[in-house]
Amino acid sequence: MSWWQALLLLFGALTVLMMVGLPVAFAFLAINLAGALIWFGGEAGLVQVVRNSVASVTNFSLTPIPFFILMGEVLFHTGLAMKTIDSFDRAIRGVPGRLAVVTIVAGTVFSAISGSTVATTALLGSLLLPQMLKRGYHPRMAMGPIMAIGGVDMLIPPSALTVLLGSLAGISISGLLIAGVVPGIAMALMFLAYIVVQAVRHPQLAPAFDSEEVHGWARWGPLLVNVTPLVLIFALVIVAMSAGWATPTESAALGALATVIVCVLYRSLTWKALLDALAGTTAIACLILFIIVGATTFSQILSFSGATNGMVALVQGAALPGWAVLGGMIVILLILGCFVDQVSMMLITLPFFMPLVQHFAWDPLWYGVIYLICMQLGLLTPPFGMLLFTMRSVAPKSIPTQEIYAAVMPYVTMGLGAIVVVLAWPGIATWLPGVLLKR
Amino acid sequence: MSRLHALLMRLADGIAIATIGAITVLVCWDVIARNLGRGNLPWILELTEYALPLATLMAAPWLMWRGQHVRLDVLEMVLSERARARLERVAAAAGLAVSAVLCWYGVVALLDSKRSGAVMLKALVFPEWWLYAPVPIGFALLVLECGRRLLAPSTPAEASP
Repeated sequence: MSWWQALLLLFGALTVLMMVGLPVAFAFLAINLAGALIWFGGEAGLVQVVRNSVASVTNFSLTPIPFFILMGEVLFHTGLAMKTIDSFDRAIRGVPGRLAVVTIVAGTVFSAISGSTVATTALLGSLLLPQMLKRGYHPRMAMGPIMAIGGVDMLIPPSALTVLLGSLAGISISGLLIAGVVPGIAMALMFLAYIVVQAVRHPQLAPAFDSEEVHGWARWGPLLVNVTPLVLIFALVIVAMSAGWATPTESAALGALATVIVCVLYRSLTWKALLDALAGTTAIACLILFIIVGATTFSQILSFSGATNGMVALVQGAALPGWAVLGGMIVILLILGCFVDQVSMMLITLPFFMPLVQHFAWDPLWYGVIYLICMQLGLLTPPFGMLLFTMRSVAPKSIPTQEIYAAVMPYVTMGLGAIVVVLAWPGIATWLPGVLLKR
Repeated sequence: MSRLHALLMRLADGIAIATIGAITVLVCWDVIARNLGRGNLPWILELTEYALPLATLMAAPWLMWRGQHVRLDVLEMVLSERARARLERVAAAAGLAVSAVLCWYGVVALLDSKRSGAVMLKALVFPEWWLYAPVPIGFALLVLECGRRLLAPSTPAEASP
């Protein structure tokens, strides 16, 4: 079987199995079994699939994933996250599109403590969306910022998907986590500017309303009391990692412990909240890890069948300029992002993309950040962006799904703009890790 | 029968939750002890690695029971109720077949390893087959869950979390 026949067979069968509604991990596992029979030497290959499955997740570089998710889950289940949002709501006054601005600012800070994009969007959506709609905000003005800032969560550490990208692509995990900070904050600022300009130009989109007057400590106190510890936890994770006190796994575990301690100090931790947070963490983390169990062997089968080498050699042989190959990769990621989840996206594309990254000698951190922004856009692009579904689940039934799609489009456009900016100025991605990690 | 099924699913998830909880505590303790100059325990790092496949394989049946595994619902959106139920059964049958094969070869891998006397020789020393034990257990539970879905696609677990 030639490499392209193998490629067509493997991806064709994978697509069919995913389309019939088989969970993504099982679709990969089914292909693995067939692939092992063909390319791994029959029955012995099936035993090898089992061995590979265990080996794929017996990996220390994956252990930050549950810890980063636990940080957000603890804040969510103890109610501390709600207090944080309320603190911003009190502090931010007199700004056009105030509640949308609160969404972006609170979302950015919450991103710095939560490793799960879905949790951030669900939290902001359930708390701020009803308030904005009640105050007469246009649904697009209300929903867009929530989904957009949920996506930025992926760039701002801690981020479970960044850890996974680093682990699967062989890019420094601490480097990649730190590299996401500047682009993430820059995107949040871009969203803020857009909201304020829109609110000034079209006041009917976000009508100003009289809110309770708060001054002095009543205005700034909650921000100091509730938000400072979260910023300190973020700093602890980043400093522990960049100063070499702890590995990314240990920094993540310390972050989780610090979050639990903060919740104890605020007297918001109960056994039930802790157990719920652990259960939520286990579900999200194992969901990701089970796809890896399925898909790691898939990458090996792609390699054994000659599909990976064939495809990579074809691209290299075409002697295309680097920018054309990179542009092609970005287009593939953006299209995939409309249909498949982020973990599958990585597992399908990285076996082909990483040899090309090495071939063109691109900076892996720069490439990693571009890849992350593409995945972030995949969370937002219709019809299957995960955050669109999250928003659907928290938005009132009266808001049509098309309205949710329309709400997110300006932010998708800004995301595309961010890709262009990072392409043109790689320093946006590489400067901070260069300074902190002395690369 | 359905109570026993639910109990098995919850038990497996309970093991996964306890595993994640335990590694969180152990890694924190290790890093704090090391930075306080109390030395470190190299086996913690290793144990954390081994914990991930255990947690993953124990949580997988529970996630299936709750309908939480990531899946594309491209066709579901356009199909009629009846066609959708049929497609769910096809997916459940495929899931059952995949899980049954992996359960069987999980046992084969485990017995192969036991027969060969292979031993994990790092900070912790133990028979290699211990690592493979969660595979047949996890996939056997997935066989049960996929079988249940094949017989009755509507899942009470999804409706009542």
